[in-house]
Amino acid sequence: MEIIEKIKTNKSIDNQTEIQKICLNKLQSSPLPNPKSEPWRLSNKSKFSDLLDYSLNEKDTKFDTPYPNTSQNIIRLVIGDNCQIKLIEENYSIKELSEDELVKYIKKQISCFDQNENWSELLNLSLSCKKNILGLKINGSKIPPIEIFSHASSNSLNAKTLVIFLEKNCDIDLLQVNLGKDNSSLSQSTFFCLEENCSVNHGVVSYGESKSNLLNSLNVIQEKNSEYNLGSLHFKFNYARFEISIKQSAGNAKTNIKGMQITKKDEQISTYTKIEFKGPNGFLDQINKSLADDKSHAIFEGSIIVPKIAQRTDASQLSRNLLLSNLAQIDTKPQLEIIADDVKCKHGATISQLNEEELFYMRTRGITLTEASKLQLSSYFQEIITFIPVSKDRWDLLDKLLNEN
Amino acid sequence: MVNENLVKDVVKEPYKYGFVTDIETEKIAKGLNEDIIRLISQKKEEPKYLLDFRLKAFKKWQKMKEPDWAGLGYKQIDYQDIIYYSAPKQKEKISSLDEVDPKLLETFDKLGIPLTEQKKLTNVAVDAVFDSVSIATTFREELAQHGVIFCSISEAVKNHSNLIEQYLGTVVPASDNYFAALNSAVFSDGSFVYIPKGVTCPMDLSSYFRINSGDSGQFERTLIIAEESSSVSYLEGCTAPMFDTNTLHAAVVELIALDDASIKYSTVQNWYAGDEEGVGGIFNFVTKRGKCLGKRSKISWSQVETGSAITWKYPSCLLLGEESVGEFYSVALTNNLQQADTGTKMIHIGPKTKSTIVSKGISAGNSNNSYRGLVKMGTKATGSRNYSQCDSMLIGDQASANTFPYIKSQQPNSEIEHEASTCRISEDQLFYLQSRGIEFEEAVSMMVSGFCRDVFNQLPMEFAAEADKLLALKLEGSVG
Repeated sequence: MEIIEKIKTNKSIDNQTEIQKICLNKLQSSPLPNPKSEPWRLSNKSKFSDLLDYSLNEKDTKFDTPYPNTSQNIIRLVIGDNCQIKLIEENYSIKELSEDELVKYIKKQISCFDQNENWSELLNLSLSCKKNILGLKINGSKIPPIEIFSHASSNSLNAKTLVIFLEKNCDIDLLQVNLGKDNSSLSQSTFFCLEENCSVNHGVVSYGESKSNLLNSLNVIQEKNSEYNLGSLHFKFNYARFEISIKQSAGNAKTNIKGMQITKKDEQISTYTKIEFKGPNGFLDQINKSLADDKSHAIFEGSIIVPKIAQRTDASQLSRNLLLSNLAQIDTKPQLEIIADDVKCKHGATISQLNEEELFYMRTRGITLTEASKLQLSSYFQEIITFIPVSKDRWDLLDKLLNEN
Repeated sequence: MVNENLVKDVVKEPYKYGFVTDIETEKIAKGLNEDIIRLISQKKEEPKYLLDFRLKAFKKWQKMKEPDWAGLGYKQIDYQDIIYYSAPKQKEKISSLDEVDPKLLETFDKLGIPLTEQKKLTNVAVDAVFDSVSIATTFREELAQHGVIFCSISEAVKNHSNLIEQYLGTVVPASDNYFAALNSAVFSDGSFVYIPKGVTCPMDLSSYFRINSGDSGQFERTLIIAEESSSVSYLEGCTAPMFDTNTLHAAVVELIALDDASIKYSTVQNWYAGDEEGVGGIFNFVTKRGKCLGKRSKISWSQVETGSAITWKYPSCLLLGEESVGEFYSVALTNNLQQADTGTKMIHIGPKTKSTIVSKGISAGNSNNSYRGLVKMGTKATGSRNYSQCDSMLIGDQASANTFPYIKSQQPNSEIEHEASTCRISEDQLFYLQSRGIEFEEAVSMMVSGFCRDVFNQLPMEFAAEADKLLALKLEGSVG
């Protein structure tokens, strides 16, 4: 109940938005997620309570975006105080969602939320004040790539919400960057709605500093003939959860997901995905990679749900994991729940370490063990990193992963 | 679309083992309490340690909650409405099969398990369990010559008490889970096998479980101990009459393999599954676990699960000994309103341990068939390997097939591979076979049998043929 009390004392009831009130109300019946339920079973309890321990903060400290924007061709937005959406609206076919539209859309989403399964979203929405919710309506196809930042401030718990509505035939590249700070917690929820014939390349890159925590949820609804490609990378968090829920509302849509999480020291990072096919001819290709080193713990749980209506679904899910230390731990649980009979569904999972034969080969050619390992890791990382849009030229993610930690 | 009705017709075969044997039985009152447990123990003239074991288990069971994580939908079981001990009335001591009630022999004859001397299956020793007691064990003398002990667990309690005291409950502790605790408190009979050091059991051993009475549950317990360098192949079969009430079956099987020993445990489970409306059928909640204690020991589970209204069963291996091997081969077929949640657990504890999982699920009708498995590599399991393969075949668009593999690794120097796929009997394949003059039903059955081949290859010969036939019968009328 503590977190609810904290939100309530932080804000008088009159200051709360309608959405905050609804979500708080829903949370009251289950103030904390059920630790025995499947999505929370493996979550580290003390780390999770650390996440909730920081004081709530609606104000942003001064924030310098990393890698200054040198290119004119990229739109940059920062959720919160520094948001410059007005400037963008003038030049491109991007509109900020009106408050009514936003409330209507979010309310519709909340109505089908499950207290336990969507706990992270409910917390986020009950924390997010008006200025920390960014709602965009995008149309057209000649839109430059977009970068959207969410960031936390030191010693506080911040919440940011992003709602993106893509109108018919829209085609965009969007990179979301979630940045943690020293001793901070960030709650980020993203809602995507893709109308017919939309195509999105969505990137999510999240990294923190020491003792950063992240609760990241992504909710996607795809209409007919839409294509959603997600490339995600999470690393350097004391505790992070990435919850993905994708619904192909009428089937006939394509989803590609390539995600990766890297844990070191005593970090715990987990990814939960739930893909539902609500119509026929859906397509999914998903790969999730984890790397766990030192005393860390990486978790992946992915479920694919194919009801009777979703005939001719073609779905595949692969979980590949590297376990590099004796004290590290990996849990993975790919799941299939199928009722339709005319479907092609498969999943696979592997856990291993670096390939010894390949290492040996490289060493016989005079490459040191460290270099050889790096080479192997870089090929392991590349598959995911090259799938993350916008970042390729500017973010140097590979270098960050190989050298910074 | 293939003619759905045609295929549906193929799976409808009446349950041919559904008859009831009219025999006088001795039953105790319904309900479960300490007095009932004392009564069962007294009836079986058990030593005190066993009564204490039962009472302790009962106390634990009372504090436990029935598990609901498998998501099986079945009507609540009233544990006070079950008879926990039911035995056919017979003379005090039977010295030979001639003294067994002919009706009982006839029952087993009808089931294809002849117990009489003339008709004994060659090279298979059978322990026949009827409701709560074992009525006969064949080939005992021959086995005794090799030092092999094969008898009912009640007899073992009397004659080999030291072994029972040493091993009972060491693999599946009384508090392991709700149904294991219940079984530990009220188990009535079952089989006991002891293979001495260096002995390869000269014939396959087999237990046949028959539930006859509609209101009593069956709670058997099997314990198999394979000493150093010994090996045994054990077969288990089960049937029950058709009642429109549900009968509870909660068994526990414990296997122990010491250095270089090998145990092969095969099951063809064909309990009554209920009718097309889902009325009646056995609730089958079974805990089966093997402990590879010794170095290079091996435990192999193979099962063909076709019966039961509810199946909740996860034969597992604890791989403790260095280089020990665990295997699990399973075919689970569900039809009509059957629900099966089955799979395995491979817990790698010792170094260089290996495990293989091959699971084939076939769902037809409105049934629900899930694979649920765990592969765990502990911190000391260096150089260990696991390979799992789970395939599902869906017949018709009303059945569901789910896969829930849990994979956990704490050892970098180990490898785990898992793959799962889903398919159906395709129109093209059926057309191809039919165009070669193969009858529709036969074509379906050929394809199902091909789908299950990896598992059938692992079954002992008598079982493999039986399993193949069983699947064909069960599937009659369901392919779509």
